Amino acid sequence: MPVSKIPSFSSGSELGSAVVNDLEIAGRCQGSSTNWKRSRSQSALKSSIKSVPSPAKRIALRRCSNAIVDSKGEQCCDDSNGEPRVVPSSKTLREERSSDPCFQRSTWNPRDPAQIQAVKEALHVASAPDNIVCREDEQKSILDFCKACIEQDKSGSLYVCGCPGTGKSLSVKKVKELLVLWAKEAGFQAPEVLSINCTLLTKASEIFSKVIEKLHPHLKNNSCSPLQDLQKLYSQKRQLSSGKMMMIIVDEMDYLRTRDHQVLHDLFMLSTLPYSQCILIGIANTIDLADRFLPRVESLNCKPNVVTYCAYSKDQILKIIQQRLIVLGYDIFEPIALEFCARKVAAASGDMRKALDVCRSAIEVFEAELRLATNKEELKIVRFDHMDIALSRAFKPLIVDTIQSLPQHQQIILCSVVKFFWQCKKNATTIGELNRSYSEICKGNHIPPVGMLEFTNMCRALSDQGLLNVGQAKEIKQKRVTLKIDGSDVIFALKEIRFFNNCLEFLNK
Amino acid sequence: MAATPSKSRVKPSPPAPQTPASGPRRSLRLSSTPRTPVHCYDPSSPRKSAKKSKRSLLKTPAFCPITPNLPESKRRRRSGPDSNPSKKKIYFKRVVFDGVGFEIGDAVYVKRREDAESDGDEPEVEECRICFEVGNFVMVECDDCLGGFHLGCLKPPLKKVPEGDWICGYCEARKMGKVVELPKPPAWKKIKRTAKEKLLSSDLWAARIESLWKEPDGTYWLRCRWYMIPEETAAGRQPHNLRRELYRTNDTANIEMDSVIRHCFVMNPKDFFEANDEGDDVFYCEYEYDVHWHSFKRISEIDNSEECDEGAGNDDEWKLSKDSDSQTDEDSEKEEDTAQGTSYRKYQTHQLAANSRRGRIFGLQRIGAKRIPEHVRCHKQTELERAKAMLVLAILPKSLPCRTKEMEEITAFVKGAICDDQCLGRCLYIHGVPGTGKTMSVLSVMRNLSSEVEAGTMRPYSFIEINGLKLASPENIYKVVYEALSGHRVGWKKALHHLNERFSEGIKVGRQENQPCVLLLDELDLLLTRNQSVLYNVFDWPTRPHSKLVIIGIANTMNLPEKLLPRISSRMGIQRLCFGPYNYQQLQEIILTRLEGIDAFEEQAIEFASRKVAAMSGDARRALEICRRAADLADYRQKQLSSCTKVTSPDSSAGKCLVGMADVESAIQEVFQAPHIRIMKTSSRLSKILLVSMVHELYKSGLSEITFDKLAATVSSLCSSNREDIPGWDTLLKVGCKLGECRIILCEEGTKHKLQKLQLNFPSDDVAFALKDCPEVPWLSKYL
Repeated sequence: MPVSKIPSFSSGSELGSAVVNDLEIAGRCQGSSTNWKRSRSQSALKSSIKSVPSPAKRIALRRCSNAIVDSKGEQCCDDSNGEPRVVPSSKTLREERSSDPCFQRSTWNPRDPAQIQAVKEALHVASAPDNIVCREDEQKSILDFCKACIEQDKSGSLYVCGCPGTGKSLSVKKVKELLVLWAKEAGFQAPEVLSINCTLLTKASEIFSKVIEKLHPHLKNNSCSPLQDLQKLYSQKRQLSSGKMMMIIVDEMDYLRTRDHQVLHDLFMLSTLPYSQCILIGIANTIDLADRFLPRVESLNCKPNVVTYCAYSKDQILKIIQQRLIVLGYDIFEPIALEFCARKVAAASGDMRKALDVCRSAIEVFEAELRLATNKEELKIVRFDHMDIALSRAFKPLIVDTIQSLPQHQQIILCSVVKFFWQCKKNATTIGELNRSYSEICKGNHIPPVGMLEFTNMCRALSDQGLLNVGQAKEIKQKRVTLKIDGSDVIFALKEIRFFNNCLEFLNK
Repeated sequence: MAATPSKSRVKPSPPAPQTPASGPRRSLRLSSTPRTPVHCYDPSSPRKSAKKSKRSLLKTPAFCPITPNLPESKRRRRSGPDSNPSKKKIYFKRVVFDGVGFEIGDAVYVKRREDAESDGDEPEVEECRICFEVGNFVMVECDDCLGGFHLGCLKPPLKKVPEGDWICGYCEARKMGKVVELPKPPAWKKIKRTAKEKLLSSDLWAARIESLWKEPDGTYWLRCRWYMIPEETAAGRQPHNLRRELYRTNDTANIEMDSVIRHCFVMNPKDFFEANDEGDDVFYCEYEYDVHWHSFKRISEIDNSEECDEGAGNDDEWKLSKDSDSQTDEDSEKEEDTAQGTSYRKYQTHQLAANSRRGRIFGLQRIGAKRIPEHVRCHKQTELERAKAMLVLAILPKSLPCRTKEMEEITAFVKGAICDDQCLGRCLYIHGVPGTGKTMSVLSVMRNLSSEVEAGTMRPYSFIEINGLKLASPENIYKVVYEALSGHRVGWKKALHHLNERFSEGIKVGRQENQPCVLLLDELDLLLTRNQSVLYNVFDWPTRPHSKLVIIGIANTMNLPEKLLPRISSRMGIQRLCFGPYNYQQLQEIILTRLEGIDAFEEQAIEFASRKVAAMSGDARRALEICRRAADLADYRQKQLSSCTKVTSPDSSAGKCLVGMADVESAIQEVFQAPHIRIMKTSSRLSKILLVSMVHELYKSGLSEITFDKLAATVSSLCSSNREDIPGWDTLLKVGCKLGECRIILCEEGTKHKLQKLQLNFPSDDVAFALKDCPEVPWLSKYL
């Protein structure tokens, strides 16, 4: 499809093949190529449905189309030889880029601390961009909802849910600003806005006192609770009330959960009262908070509208990172490196925070290399291999390394666990039994076994490192032990240690 | 000091009168007296100052570079510089330096390091705030702004110094809410600030002399206890603070005499209110301020217990005494000495002459510094004793081997976050099994960084260290953090509110500008609450734009982030640092660096201990403990030996005993072997027989449980075949109960005495090992 869209690239096929090399290397470094391929094909599908909303995103879109060429290129030149040509490929890319008037940019000087700093700042979680890309639809639906409420002067409730790091709070915050602006333009009275993060509340019911405080700062009424005040306020027609809409943004709403769900229920019921004037926007991770905890609200047919934030796809992550970096005006990452990062993060969680963290960590890897490097010409851009190191730091479990660096007796314990499970065809045991099996191995190798106390300590150390799972029991010996990792991982790790050669003989039988 | 040639100091644009901090105040004193100038050749001699003691009067006559000889020379016992240049420090009670006598207990102005070149021009006499002349007239001091006014310049002019409080017209007008136009100084006039003004605007420091000594190289040093102005305390200036109020701190420093400017007078409340015309350098001090805990104490309450308090946590002194054993003899020798101070001017001011760390707390210096009791000082430590002292866990080693890579990473992390102008919030999670040096590495990194801050190569930051175990409840973390940032102690709910404002909106906390803040959370997993809101809040702050917060979390578990709610682990970032268990080479290196220069251990003994520990846990604490215990054992052995052979050769045996393999082996036995073997070995004859018969029965039947009924039968059969007395059932039951209480055997719950099921709590091998060669009942080994 959009091959015609990139006439600026003079030699598309060459580029493609270079990129393919990178991809192949990536596959090799990563070791799990199946996952990789699946995610790629999906993203290729997704990237084909695209709209061109704003000129600011034009360049980002070009980059995306670039990614599509990559996948296409792989299909056609799959048989190209797999020489690792990472550096030349980046160079060709960059040269073409600079020849293109559209990509006319100053070069990035990584040795300038101010520039590095600027990049890091741009990639920091706290520095929110002015306009939020990839969340236009969600943002629009929230905004429309609020607008409708204000226009019709009626109350309403909205529930925003989605995984962590998908931009919920950010876009609601944006909506808040937009709404105030819109109200000013459209001639409505701007709503009062109260945003609360529920983790900051010391008690769930404190939220009502915050609301009433915001609504009537001087109200001093000790006779009834804040909730009753609010209910009274919203259930009778009052000329006295300012007529201002109240917008309540409740972040991390599930912290309001009490045993009887009364607080949550009351909060949602506020918006259903006859003269209520509040727009309630709740934000949380769970997708079915309203369904699970608010059956009564639902029965009143006042179920809140739900806006769901899906995890970011690979293209969206890519776009967001590019949007953050575009203001800097120079290339920092190799496009392929960015894409790799986006793919990996999208496959793992779709968490934008993680993607940004990975990018920064890649810059740090790059910096470290820069400090060691003497030749100035070599390093100008954060390359694929830097990103690969950063990603592996973030995602790659280091089980094998961990096991191999364990103290010997702890390795013996792991070995005895695996052996025990193998022989008994079980997947759980107790510490007492495990100790017996461990002592056997020790005796077989003429090593004095440690005492029970020390043994328990070692088991705890192993469970701290996420290798074993030690349950709770009154008696130490009765504690349940299970293996948290795959037994074959343990065997693989221990096989390389000579000591365990004969311990693992049971496998060959 | 007094003799420094005074050149007028150019100040960019000093606001003529110091505006006082607002607030009601009690009036203190009248500060002006007609006084005749002392030095007749000084045209602008001090009028206002009327010091009690004469020596302080000979202050900087403007053109006189050399101080004339002073009357107090008669008070010194010895004159002239120390005649025999010794290698030791000599302590003095009183030193005449540059012609001014300094005694222990005096208060002095001390120059700040950065002001080093611009000192020496403190005008002794204050100028009138109206005419900006010094003039030879009586001055009165405003009790509010501390400005001096000539009686004649006031409108209406005063005839004499009024009784009681007097507030100048400007301050009065300001209090009424009017805009006050202060008289501008003539353009040609350069405003000089007096030392008092400099002190109160913290350009100078005041200190109390605690001790004076002469270094072997001839320089004079003093140990001073700092005074603080109220603005420098964590609480800031409070309404009740007097203008001339200072706080004595518990912070001391060693500085060179060169940085002392001149005397000032810090008085207790009683003297202060009685002092009417003591001049400009009089200050009021009622409280002592604890720089570590930001607490205030009335000095009169402290001074009673001063003796025991003195030096209690004073590691400097201890270090000194450690350096040379023989020097301690000199401690008591206090001499009076006079130095012709001018000759010592050539010595460069010591790099840290004016301590820049005053008032800032890093709280890291004193990790477990132990004061060695007096009696230890008296006798020369043997190698073994020194080794033991070095192996104590609380001792902070000089260098930390084997963790350089991790420490570099931590340094890079903190620096990367702080060095920039815009401090970006970040998190680092450090995990590793116990005893792998996690906390120690972080602390030592922070120590290095704080010395960098001191040297000025890094931005100042505040460092807060919190141990999750030390918090009464996880929520208290807000309280602790807020207190560390602002100095105020509030409840955690309020603290949370303030902290949230501080971190998410950038509202200032406390007086000064928000510095970047490094928060070390040790034992992070203990901050987990049921809904994890504490961790959520803590880790949410660095993601805010203005937070300037850097978090370092330490815990044992590797998978803590995975155990947390996804929204928290998302905020926590991906930066991890793993401290793996030490291998035996590393442990060996750690022990060897600690024992550097001490010849007490055999090489193999150390290797054996480290191999043993590395095989089990890789815990450095364990390894050190084992070595210390081994040294203990060796020491004990040697002492016994020497007490036996004392008569023959006391010298040859001393210091020649090395800790060998046997000692380490027995130490390991003690540390690693569970106590049950010992209990079995030392238990009574009958309980040994009972245990053996249980093992015997276990071998025979293969069942781990045995009824008491059956056990009794076995015991009696064993006894009869080995010609022992056959015990009665009740005796046997009693023995069984005792073993059950020790948990050597497990007894079934319930009261079915005869059919009660018994079970060994430990593997039968342990019993066999313990009782195999028992001299008491040798026949037992037959059945094992």
